[in-house]
Order: sequence, then C-alpha cells, then structure tokens
Amino acid sequence: MQRRSALKSLTAAVGGLMSLPSWAQAWTPETVKGPTLLTMAEEDTLAEIVETIIPETSTPGAKSLKVHQFALRMINDCYGENAQKNLKKGLADTNSAAQQAYSKSFAACDGKQRLELLKKLADNADTKPFVSMIKNLTIQGYQNSEYVMVNIQKYNMAPGFYHGCVPVKK
Amino acid sequence: MIWVNSGTASLTQFNLKTANLQMSYFSIDSIKDRTFDAIVVGSGISGGWAAKELTGKGLRTLVLERGRNVQHVTDYPTTMMRPWEFPHLNQMPKEVKDANPIVSKCYAFNEDAAHFFVKDAEHPYVQEKPFDWIRGYQVGGKSLLWARQTQRWSQFDFEGPARDGFAVEWPINYNEIAPWYSYVEKFAGISGNKDGLPQLPDGEFLPPHEQSCVEKYFGQQMAKHYGGTRPIIIGRCAHLTKPNPIHFQQGRAQCQNRALCQRGCPYGGYFSSNATTIPWAMKSGKMTLKPDSVVHSIIYDEKLGKAAGVRVIDAKTNEAIEYYAKIIFVNAAALNTNLILLNSTSHRFPQGLGNDNGLMGKYIAFHNYRTSISGEYEGFLDTTSEGIRPNSSYIPRFRNLLKQETDFLRGYAAGFNSSRITFNDRSGMGEELKTSLAEKKYGNWRVGSHMMGETIPKETNFVALDPNLKDKWGIPQLRISVSYDDNDEKMVKDYHEQLTEMFTKAGFKNIQTHDVPNKAPGLDIHEMGGVRMGKDPKTSLLNNWNQLHACKNVFVTDGACMTSTATQNPSLTYMALTARAADYAVKQMKAKNL
Repeated sequence: MQRRSALKSLTAAVGGLMSLPSWAQAWTPETVKGPTLLTMAEEDTLAEIVETIIPETSTPGAKSLKVHQFALRMINDCYGENAQKNLKKGLADTNSAAQQAYSKSFAACDGKQRLELLKKLADNADTKPFVSMIKNLTIQGYQNSEYVMVNIQKYNMAPGFYHGCVPVKK
Repeated sequence: MIWVNSGTASLTQFNLKTANLQMSYFSIDSIKDRTFDAIVVGSGISGGWAAKELTGKGLRTLVLERGRNVQHVTDYPTTMMRPWEFPHLNQMPKEVKDANPIVSKCYAFNEDAAHFFVKDAEHPYVQEKPFDWIRGYQVGGKSLLWARQTQRWSQFDFEGPARDGFAVEWPINYNEIAPWYSYVEKFAGISGNKDGLPQLPDGEFLPPHEQSCVEKYFGQQMAKHYGGTRPIIIGRCAHLTKPNPIHFQQGRAQCQNRALCQRGCPYGGYFSSNATTIPWAMKSGKMTLKPDSVVHSIIYDEKLGKAAGVRVIDAKTNEAIEYYAKIIFVNAAALNTNLILLNSTSHRFPQGLGNDNGLMGKYIAFHNYRTSISGEYEGFLDTTSEGIRPNSSYIPRFRNLLKQETDFLRGYAAGFNSSRITFNDRSGMGEELKTSLAEKKYGNWRVGSHMMGETIPKETNFVALDPNLKDKWGIPQLRISVSYDDNDEKMVKDYHEQLTEMFTKAGFKNIQTHDVPNKAPGLDIHEMGGVRMGKDPKTSLLNNWNQLHACKNVFVTDGACMTSTATQNPSLTYMALTARAADYAVKQMKAKNL
C-alpha cells in the first residue's frame, strides 16, 4: 500500500512536469546566444580545430557533437573581452600558420597537418593561451556532451545510490 | 498613500507614490474578507511550519509571501534537466555575474537554480560593512535552496550565553524543546545515526547515509588519539532515506540520491515548505496563501494594546491593503523580520513594534564559514566510493564543550568529506587524447573539512532602517553593519591548528588550510538575532514562547529570535520553536488570553 501510494505520488510528480510555465523556458541555447562573435568562416575554422583536438573515430568527434558551438557560447557569454579577442586572433593565427606551412587554409589541411599545426601553436608562447583555452573548452564540452555522458559515462539521473567503500573496478 | 483601514487600527498617511485605493475595501464585507484567525508573514522553513501548525489546529490562516508562487514540482523548471541541457553547463553568464556581484558569490547561484535567488538590483540594501545577504523571495523561500543539515542543539548550546557571559541567558532549555524536535523530525523526515552524544542529541531518525572507508577510518583514528571526545559521525539531514507513512501522506517519495536539491525535488526527497508544510496546510482547507504580498509593517491597535493586523503592498499592482487577525507570526527570515518590526512604528512603539528597550536589530550573529582544510590519504587505494550522497560526515563541536579551555569563547563544528581523486591524462591531442579521456585514473583519497564557527552576538553587530533610502514600495532599506571580531579570528586559527593536528594524526598528507580573511559574513546564510529571546523584557524582545514581551499576540520564530547561534545548522531549531510557539499561541487563544 505504501509502495503504491509512493509510486502514485511519483507519477503525479513527474506528470506535473509536462506543463511548465512559459518563464520556465528561460534557459535555452537560443535565448542566451547573444550577438555572434565570429564570421561563418571563423566558426568553420573553430569547428575544425575542436575536431582536430578530439577527432571522429568509431565514435563521434567534437565537431559533430557541436563542441565548437559550446566553446563559442562559453567565450561569448561567460568569458571576458580578452578571451574574445584571444579567440579572434587565435583563429587568424591558426590560418596564417597553415598558409605559411602548407599554403592553404587550416580547414583545407588534412588531419595530420592540422594536428602538427596545433601542436606547433601550442608550443608558441604567443598562441599557447589560445590553444589552451580551446583545448580546455573542447574537453569540457566533449566530456559533458549527451553522447559521451550517456554512451560512455553511462549517465543516470535517478535512481541514484551511494556506496561508501567498494573495490576499484579494474 | 492611504491604507485601507478598518477603523480600529490607527489611520496613518503614508507617502507612497503608487496608491491605488479601491472604495469597495471600505465595506464591512471587505473587512470581514480580510480578517483571519492568524496571519503568517513568510512561507520559508519557519513560516511553512507556522502555517501547517496553525491550520492544523483549526485556525483560518493567511500566509503572506512577498515573492511569486512556486508550486511543488510544476514550478521546478530545471529539475529534470540533464547536464548537457544547460547552455553553459550550469555556469552563469558573465553579464549576470557582473550585474549581481553579491548573489554570484553564493555557491548555488548557477544556471539550474538562479531563478530561486534574489538578484542584487531587485532588492537593494545598505552595507555599512560588507555583508553578502543571500535571499530567496518566493513561496518556500530558501527552503528550496538550503543545505538540509539538521542537528539538534544540546543543553551545552542553550547554556552557552549564561556560562560564558555574553548576550543574555536563553529562556528555554534543551528539555523544553526536545519533544518539539521529535515532533518536527517525524514529519519532516530526518536521516541520521543514533550516536549517543550529549553535545548533539539523537533525534527521530530515518536510516543514516553511509560513511566512506576513509571517513570511518578517520573516526577510528580520532577515537584512538582523543579518547572519544572528537567523534566523526555521518551528517544528519532532511532527506527521506526510507519514507514513513506520514511522508507518503504528504505526497513525498524516497530520496533518489540525485543531489540536485537546489532545483526543487520532484520526488519531495528532501524537506522544503513547498513539498511538505505548505501543501499540508493547503489540504486543511484553512489556509489562504497570498504570494506577491510585501508586508510593509504590523498594525498596532493603541486602544486594545495589541497588534491588529498587517499592512501589505501587492508586489504586482502596488495596491496597499490591510489584513487583520488575532495573532501574527512573523517569519520573514531573520533580517527581514527585523526590518518589518522596526518599520512597525506607532504612538506606543516609536522605535518599532515591541522595541521598548531599543535593542531590536542589535546582537545580530551568524556562522563563520570562511575557512576550510584539505588533505590526501594514501591508504585504501584499492577502494573507492561510488554514486552520490546528498550529505557528508560531521565533526560535532569539541572545543570549550565542558569548560572554557582556549583564549576564545565557544567553538566550531565542521563538515568532513572524502572521495577518491579521479582524473584522465589530458596531455595529448587528437586520437591519443580521445583515448586517454575514456580512461578514468584514480589518485589518492581527497579529504576536506570546513569550519562552522559559533559567533558571539554583540550590540555593535546590528541592522537598522536607513533614514533616507527606500525600496520601490517606499519601505526603508535595511542597513547592515555586521563583521567578524577578534574571537572569530582566534577561532579560525584554532580550527587550523586542531584540524591540522587531527589530519596529521590520521596520517593524511598534503594538508593545506584555506582562509579568506576578507570574505564578508553572509554566505553562511545563517544570519540570526536582532529580536532575541530572553527572560527579561529590559534586555530581550521575545519571551520563552517567542512572543514579543510588549505585544503578546505577535510571535517571531525565525532566525531573528535567536539569542545565540551555537554551531548547528539552525533550520531544525526554527521548525521546533515554531511548532512549540504555535501550540502555545492556540492554547492561549482558546483560554482567551490573546
């Protein structure tokens, strides 16, 4: 009986979520996007950079998981003006490094060339902050993407549990 | 502004810009419609309890809440959102942080719960000294957001001021409140272990959460080195680890260990007014709940020598309206309760309702939360904890417990937590990085503790009405003048020394203390006092039943009533004091004494 009434109240609880008031939609990507920081071409370059950092293999890479859009959103909305300048400049630096080394844009380079370019930029004191920032955001966005959380980390909101002392799984 | 007035209360002209008086209010029917047996100001933890108790005893009760309505479940917009559904992974946008330097300091002000916090510009106050005032204006108040730790006070705590010669003597002792602790614990649902400690009395517990092997080990080590004087116990918290029939009757279900409490819980897994007391009071058919109702002041009837009702401003329409009742519970949260009472002036009480001695607003205290300690343990490396626990371990106060032993008064409790450090190799780029991100590596156990220090109430820590600045409804802004003192500094030093010693004795490594000396008080969100309880009307505002000495039909049972702070998280004590005072108030009404 208790179990039944608990389940009933649970169903009522979750069912109630169907009808959210309009203000409840306050936090959606659309409403917080703000002004676009990058041109389409720059955004494409950023997409290729995050894809180079975490590429598609047998599982999706950062680009198809839209991690570049996450990185852009964070820099645009949460980071300061310096980070925004750093992003603009870093994207330009990336393309001029590609032009210098391979006489083509970063996006036109092959995977191996892109990886070499990024490693070189990471070693350069001038461009290192840009690469670090994008790499950190790429890891954060990738690890917290729906694909990785659900399929790799087996995210489960409820029911949860806590065990204080279990053997480490090898 | 002219207040809608029954004629029995004093008619006063107010200089509010936005009066919108409707003549119909003057009719007799209208006055009847606005008359109740009891009025409760505020719907947070203590107001919710007042509503439940008073309606449960048959009183037609009006509950006034200054903020918007928040219905259990339907008004928790983020509660089922998964991490990737937050556009900034729960981080607040810079624009919001820049516009809200105060509330942004609160650990829980993130994308998932920001809508339950007052934004800085919405309700300004004056910081005579830096004070981060964190508020939640909605039905349920901060009960949606609280940290849910619920420890009983002990007799050592009630005896504190008298033994150590500060503030005034508490007018109640542990034995008087113990049955009321039991009463509220059974209804709210408190998880804990019966530890048998005189300094932290056991309650009516649901099953406890589990301690990790390192937390148990730390407890064993402390028992070995300190002979039982420094126990390490599992925290006691308002979570339904195993609900009883009374909790199912409330429509609540077992805590799911999501630890997303600040969003509001769709299961009612933790205690909030919204999940528990407010719907219970609503079910009685005796409660009228009015959100968006800002209480301006309490009306004092000079002829009858008692409070007649409250003056309210509708937050949406700016209409002014009065409500009347035989008894009034003021549960607006500690500092706002001070504000309302100070603003309730009359011929009889020119300094604020019941404030004959001029002490109202003074002796504000809080909990010192500004310091912590961390370390690592190299043992138990073949084990880990798994899952999420909405709780932590707890170190009850051990300093100056039985007698004065340091150069500062009172002491501190502390949280204690442990978990394995996990990481992945992030050095590479490309496929190499992708592979290494999928490999979780384990480091040492990380251990940490944070101090919860008792502070000493002082006349120099006070709140007052600003003589000039007003809010958008013409209510004076609150001036807050609260700071740490030498006792707090000495206590921080002692916490560092003692916890370092304890961590060292347990064999912890890489021990580091963290202190932010210039961190303003307030972020503990445990502000207390200003309308303190006491035996003597000359030195206190409230008696042993939380009644204003000088205006007996007004009760204050939120943080404002606290004579001293002890080290315990205060909400459970507010619940117990409220239920006790409501019981007394109704008995007095029936005996025609109120």
